[in-house]
Amino acid sequence: MAKIDLSNISHTYNPKDLEPTYALNPFSMTWENGKRYAILGPSGCGKTTMLNIVSGLIKPTQGRILFDNEDVTNQKTETRNISQVFQFPVIYNTMSVYDNLAFPLKCRDFEKNKIEERVQSVSETLNLSSFLNMPARKLTADQKQLISLGRGLVREDVAAVLMDEPLTVIDPDLKFRLRRNLKEINEEYKTTLVYVTHDQNEAMTFADNIIVMDQGEIVQVGLPKDLFERPKTTFVGYFIGSPAMNLFETQLHTDNSVKINDTTIKTNTNLSKLKNNNIKLGIRSEFVKVAKDESENLVEVNIQKIEDFGNFKLLTTRMGQLTIKSKINREIEIANDKVKLHFPPEKCCVYQNNKLI
Amino acid sequence: MEKLYKFLKYTFIILWTVFIVAPFLWAISTSFKDFQSVNSKVTYIPWLDFEPTLEGWRVLVKSPARGGVDIVEPYFNSLFVTCTASLISIVLGTLAAYALSRFTFKAGFVRNNDITFFFISQRIMPPIVLSIPFFIFLSTIGLLDSLIGLVVVYIVLLMPIAVWIMVDFFNRVPKELDETALIDGCNPYQAFYKVVLPNSIPGLIVAGMFCIIFGWIDFFFAFILTFTEVQLLPVKVVALNSSITPWWSLSASALISVAPLIIVAFVVERYLSKGNLSGALK
Repeated sequence: MAKIDLSNISHTYNPKDLEPTYALNPFSMTWENGKRYAILGPSGCGKTTMLNIVSGLIKPTQGRILFDNEDVTNQKTETRNISQVFQFPVIYNTMSVYDNLAFPLKCRDFEKNKIEERVQSVSETLNLSSFLNMPARKLTADQKQLISLGRGLVREDVAAVLMDEPLTVIDPDLKFRLRRNLKEINEEYKTTLVYVTHDQNEAMTFADNIIVMDQGEIVQVGLPKDLFERPKTTFVGYFIGSPAMNLFETQLHTDNSVKINDTTIKTNTNLSKLKNNNIKLGIRSEFVKVAKDESENLVEVNIQKIEDFGNFKLLTTRMGQLTIKSKINREIEIANDKVKLHFPPEKCCVYQNNKLI
Repeated sequence: MEKLYKFLKYTFIILWTVFIVAPFLWAISTSFKDFQSVNSKVTYIPWLDFEPTLEGWRVLVKSPARGGVDIVEPYFNSLFVTCTASLISIVLGTLAAYALSRFTFKAGFVRNNDITFFFISQRIMPPIVLSIPFFIFLSTIGLLDSLIGLVVVYIVLLMPIAVWIMVDFFNRVPKELDETALIDGCNPYQAFYKVVLPNSIPGLIVAGMFCIIFGWIDFFFAFILTFTEVQLLPVKVVALNSSITPWWSLSASALISVAPLIIVAFVVERYLSKGNLSGALK
């Protein structure tokens, strides 16, 4: 267990080119000891590169990595005491489940009693106790993935367990249970867990802190609530949440309001210093409600589609060329084709050049 | 329909088996015949058609001084040369293949694929092209007509096969396996022999099988690079022929020549049927 500092790290796979393309742009970040982090982003955004840099499989083009303030940038993977679980289960086919779990300890010359104690403990946590003597290759894909995970957890002092979309091969039902398992393990052993995923639900339910990445850039680090309510860029707004955040091109109106077509929308943001250039208004469909007795921030729309998802209804509406989506309580009946929607000012986010004001 | 399919299937299997086994049965039968039984009329079944004799087999173990041809020594020479050369080729070839599969080499315009092709190209060349260089090379270092000289030449012939098969095999072993071993605390050498190598046994068996087959059946270099001191089995078997073809001893020698390969085939078959080699064989 360790605090991990990533200081001014960047990486390119073609450093010798005249204009190298960066898989990871310079960034600095600290992973606190014992916390759960999720790295979220679309495919090819640099998530795996970041993990490989931490585990030492890749040496960063620039920057330093510190485990508990000790510089490990030039240390090899095998001496870093880190664990990594890959997307697809990697097991030692020729060994039994027990030997698979014991392997990291054997490589580090642990005593036999200690190895047995740790393997028993981890196999109980992961429900693998009854398979210990079986050849690992005979297990199912999700059990194999548990072995990969177990090899990470078997070392008590491991600096962090890095997981690269580890639940891809696992049934949805078991996924849920495993995520809870991982949380329990984290709480019990205080192991720092870093979890790479492109599934926002997975990230939201798993992590204390979410790191959102896009095109080699870290666009936001924060609590699930922050990412949801105050996305720092339009990308985060678009990427997180289902459906994506409603985003509209707008014109500045007063110091705290903007205009969409001819409708004025008040916000809680001070807009006095902005230039009227590339301004967008964003609001989550969860916060757009059918107006009852509100007198301002109302938008008159035509209903295009109503989808019933069982636990909520999704309204797809049009205002001129703009599409506005709203998640409403499924008990609300919509009688007319036209309806007034209310945008609460405190939930309205204003963006200039795709960045939150 | 199902029955017809079964009928056709089994008919085909039986015909195929007869096609494969008949020459062996013919050779076994012939090896126990004498001159009379071979040349007078067609005979098939011992004791019924002809009186079996062990003469065809005896000739093979008798020394030339006593009228035999003695293939025992060439037989063990062949075993020694084939096994030693195969073993060394597999060890060196596997190491080379692992490097070619896992590391990136650059030398001028030469890349990994070019190096792999260079290995394979050694087998594309007609053997006759290599005969003179090999002859001069072995005579220069004084290893002409010696077992060690033959082993050296056979390593050159067999290693490309090992490299070729193992590069393909290692390319199918996910890189994450090596990486996991590193993460678990192995250094790169331990990762290779503790994790990657045990996972590559099917590939090693296939490579070994091909090396043994190609080493065992080679006639050309065994013929060119040996004279009187050392003889290998294929050369000796061919030398059995004379103005009166001794079909009986030729059959006997053919049977014991093919025996080691049949044993290899049965050993490998166990792995083949498990489906373990599908990756290695493609």
